[in-house]
Amino acid sequence: MSLTQRAADPAALRRKRARERWCTLGFLSPWLVGFSVFFGYPLLATVYFSFMHYNQIEPPTFVGLRNWAYVLTQMPLFGPALWNTVWLVVVMVALRVAFGLGVGLLVTKIKAGVGFFRTAFYIPYLAPPVAATVAFVFLLNPGTGPVNGLLARIGIHAPNWFNDPAWAKPSLVLLSLWGIGDLMVIFMAALLDVPREQYEAAELDGAGPLSRFRYVTWPNITPIVMFAVVTGVVQTMQYYTQALVAGKLASGVTIGPGSQIQPGYPDHSTLTVPQLVWSLGFQNFNTGAACVLSLVLFALAMAVTTLLMRKRAGLLAAED
Amino acid sequence: MTTPAPNPSAPGPSAPALAPAPAPAAVRRTSGRRRGRTRRAPGRPGSRRNTRLLHWIAVHTGAVAAALFFVLPFVFVFLTSVMSDRQAMSGELWPHGWHWSNYTEVFRTPGFLDWWRNSLMYALLGTVCTVCSSVPVAYALAKFRFRGRRTAVLLVISTMMLPPQVVVIPMYLVWAQQFHLAGTLWPLIIPMAFGDAYSIFLLRQFLLTIPKEYVESAKVDGCGELRTLLRIVVPMAKPGIAAVSLFQFFYCWNDYFGPQIYAAQNPGAWTLSYGLETFKTAHSVNWNLTMAATLLVMAPVILVFFFAQKAFVEGVTLTGVKG
Amino acid sequence: MACPRTRSRTTAIAAAVAALAALAPLAGCANPSVGSARDDPDAPVTLTFWHGWSEKSEVKAIDDSIARFEKLHPNIHVKAVGNVDDATMNQALRAGGDDAPDVVSSFTTTNVGQFCSSGMWADLDPFLHKSRIAKRKLFPRTLVDYTQYRGKQCALPLLADAYGLYYNKDAFRRAGIRRPPHTMSELKRDAAKLTVRRKGGGYRRVGFMPNFRLYQNSPPRLFAQWGPRYFDGRGRSRLSRDPDTRDYFRTTNALLKAQGGYRALERFRTTFGDEMSSQNAFLTGKLAMHMDGEWRGLMLQQAGAKFHWGTAPLPVPDDRPGTYGRGFLTGTVAGIANSSRHQNAAWELLRFLTTDTRQVVRFSNAIHNVPSTRPALKSPRLDADPRFRTFVHIARNPHSSAEPPTVNGGQFTTAFQDFGYDVESGKVRDLRKGLRALDARIDADTLQARN
Repeated sequence: MSLTQRAADPAALRRKRARERWCTLGFLSPWLVGFSVFFGYPLLATVYFSFMHYNQIEPPTFVGLRNWAYVLTQMPLFGPALWNTVWLVVVMVALRVAFGLGVGLLVTKIKAGVGFFRTAFYIPYLAPPVAATVAFVFLLNPGTGPVNGLLARIGIHAPNWFNDPAWAKPSLVLLSLWGIGDLMVIFMAALLDVPREQYEAAELDGAGPLSRFRYVTWPNITPIVMFAVVTGVVQTMQYYTQALVAGKLASGVTIGPGSQIQPGYPDHSTLTVPQLVWSLGFQNFNTGAACVLSLVLFALAMAVTTLLMRKRAGLLAAED
Repeated sequence: MTTPAPNPSAPGPSAPALAPAPAPAAVRRTSGRRRGRTRRAPGRPGSRRNTRLLHWIAVHTGAVAAALFFVLPFVFVFLTSVMSDRQAMSGELWPHGWHWSNYTEVFRTPGFLDWWRNSLMYALLGTVCTVCSSVPVAYALAKFRFRGRRTAVLLVISTMMLPPQVVVIPMYLVWAQQFHLAGTLWPLIIPMAFGDAYSIFLLRQFLLTIPKEYVESAKVDGCGELRTLLRIVVPMAKPGIAAVSLFQFFYCWNDYFGPQIYAAQNPGAWTLSYGLETFKTAHSVNWNLTMAATLLVMAPVILVFFFAQKAFVEGVTLTGVKG
Repeated sequence: MACPRTRSRTTAIAAAVAALAALAPLAGCANPSVGSARDDPDAPVTLTFWHGWSEKSEVKAIDDSIARFEKLHPNIHVKAVGNVDDATMNQALRAGGDDAPDVVSSFTTTNVGQFCSSGMWADLDPFLHKSRIAKRKLFPRTLVDYTQYRGKQCALPLLADAYGLYYNKDAFRRAGIRRPPHTMSELKRDAAKLTVRRKGGGYRRVGFMPNFRLYQNSPPRLFAQWGPRYFDGRGRSRLSRDPDTRDYFRTTNALLKAQGGYRALERFRTTFGDEMSSQNAFLTGKLAMHMDGEWRGLMLQQAGAKFHWGTAPLPVPDDRPGTYGRGFLTGTVAGIANSSRHQNAAWELLRFLTTDTRQVVRFSNAIHNVPSTRPALKSPRLDADPRFRTFVHIARNPHSSAEPPTVNGGQFTTAFQDFGYDVESGKVRDLRKGLRALDARIDADTLQARN
């Protein structure tokens, strides 16, 4: 039977279409189930709990908008958490992209020992975040860390890094710049993909290095830069591990008399919204308030996502 | 359904398929006149050589400076890890004596080997579950045509962007109170058997590059979709699957938030990430021991990188920078 | 594709909604395991005991105590887990399950309110009654008070900590000061005398640094010298209604001013080393007087302090000199998890650790804490070093006080601490108004935590 003949039979066609539909559903089923169970349900439950008082021991009781009023107006930590998160998103993403681009550019220009340098620049990215944070808290320890020791020898009075409210966030940014490997590699790939002819044409036209960058390099790598910005923003909005671990370790709080881990040490300067959600939910066991804050975080994430999706940032393939 | 990403802790980046780059309009096209022209050196030949030399020096000085920034932390961590207790607190840089016993003491810390075992189990099981469940989904999203495909892809991408803290509270309550799985790592592994948004996204990007002739020829030969997937597509997608496996493995290995929520109450279930942080808390002033432990946590990843460099590089070019 | 998609889409949506609806009842179904106090304490059993000690010597001391207990009760085997903080313990007890501990302890006395009111820790009065222990006769009043909440005794004190004044005797002698200060005015005068500034700015030594971020200086500790009552009968914060609060902050601000001002002192403080290390500021002579707990004495001895040092109670406000000898008390509290299935056996362990005089004395000497029972406080076997005995006397002093247990201990401490930071840095212009706002915040937090 020829293909056209097969297609002409309506019953067979219907069966084929039905089979295709089942096939699609079948292949998608793991994700469909996962999406509803591990995303849809918790989201609805979070909304539900945001109107409840629940300390995970006694049954939940309905309290209306009390949790909302509390989180949005009566919780002094709400403002700092939001501010810190926004600060980190803006500063960390901007600096990471710029530094990653710079390092990527540098690597493309290295002639001697490219392999060594490239590996050396990349390896810190592989360090697990907790390990990297522990290392940096030690290195930047104002009293006993090597960095301050070295700086003192040169005569520079170094700041207190993770123990100084004004320097804690910059120290976290420094930590993230250390792990620039991933951005460096994608920028490198993008830079190397710029067509040679365009550079040569520009050179022949007498364009200096700055103009070459502005008119040849930049337009070619803009999509990658946008991608880096988008993913950076998404990542930093969830910034949790490094800030929490750095705060815990820098405060030197051991489990001892009257001590309680306070996220955001020093002075709530590194407190981010995700950390506050954890603190409300798992330190104070105030489930209702934690859920309210989760929804605020969700709204923020969705707002940013839709904004960035508008610009596509190359996330969808051409055929979509 | 696991958490965020683009994976902050997975090795290897992932540049997406890009639209072709726009032509730089500001540069005049001189291709017609270019042929036959030699390079014109501005100025005297000597100064051009000097410029190039200066350029070389500048670039390589910058490279060395950057290399110091990236490498010195490891050096200091290592040097401190072999110092004595007292010296580690003193801020000196070079150890007086080489106390390799610090490493044995870290190994003998109660629970340290458990942390290794737990991290390994979590990472292996998580990776296997993720790959097995994500490949069919990615394949469907890449190769099947159905209305709602675009919505599905958008949903996958939105899930990638979701902070895990948004849904953690109700999920924790269900796992802890209904299934009594708090104090284990299962609440982290089981969701991975239902697809991971980031892995689905990456795999899809990769599968899009497989020409549909292969798929269609298989269908003509009478293969069902499943068999097409297993027999034809999976072998072709091996590099992509390898890269996704690596990403997921290291995502699990580096995960701190997950174990902190679910495994914290049972020290027998701690992973390396969580254990390292409590290690420092328990050894508040023994920086030398903490640095030894830190190095032991960092080392496996770096070692694996050196052995699996090829797969890492595949990850970089996974989706192809140019689509 | 021409086939109708709507049907499959509707089916998919319907399936999803059905799945979600089926899961909805899971929301909020609290299912904490219920414990049992009907077990036979003489039957063989394994108990799990969670504590917060992590330092090698301390862990050895608690392990030795457990070994002594196991010898007395050969049918009970105790599995001890250390380095457990309150958050972990809280989570484990709320989630229930087989891994949940039987005997629990905490270093944060203010959390006792949470433990009692939530029902996580079992009520111990029936057990005390069964064993014929008169708690008010056995334990000092302050210790009984901070282990109960609203009449429910859900914890017992397991060794205590007392705060006093450590002072550098050599510096005192050189400055011509005969004895440690007894009143706040004397403290201010002596602190100013002992402060040595450096040419060109900075300090060589500070007399007494009241900065709230320094080591153990959180606001409630020194405030104990006024004997404050934080909450009224209805559980509302009364800091703004109590004139002592204003007096307290005025005193700390005066101390700051007398020694060079907050900014200069803060800058000096940031050069201090780790509290528990050999770079501790008192140990290195940067502080002439310092408020700390009784454990500091052991550390000073072990580190080989290069100067003569002494201990004394902290000074008291000028208007109540008769209360000199009082101090801030805190300590470890221990209890039985309500979800434990072996509560009678757990009670045997708890009773041994908290009430057996010889055990309390031995443990106290081992980890250099203050004993928590009256007979132990009077025991001749206690460490005889007079510098340690100072703290024993502080613990026995009837005017000594502790932070009150609240239903959300940690938040209350944070709020008070944040306020203290604002006051000392000069951000609070109107103390009365600031205290009223603080009370409002504490009350809002309390309301959030209550049902």
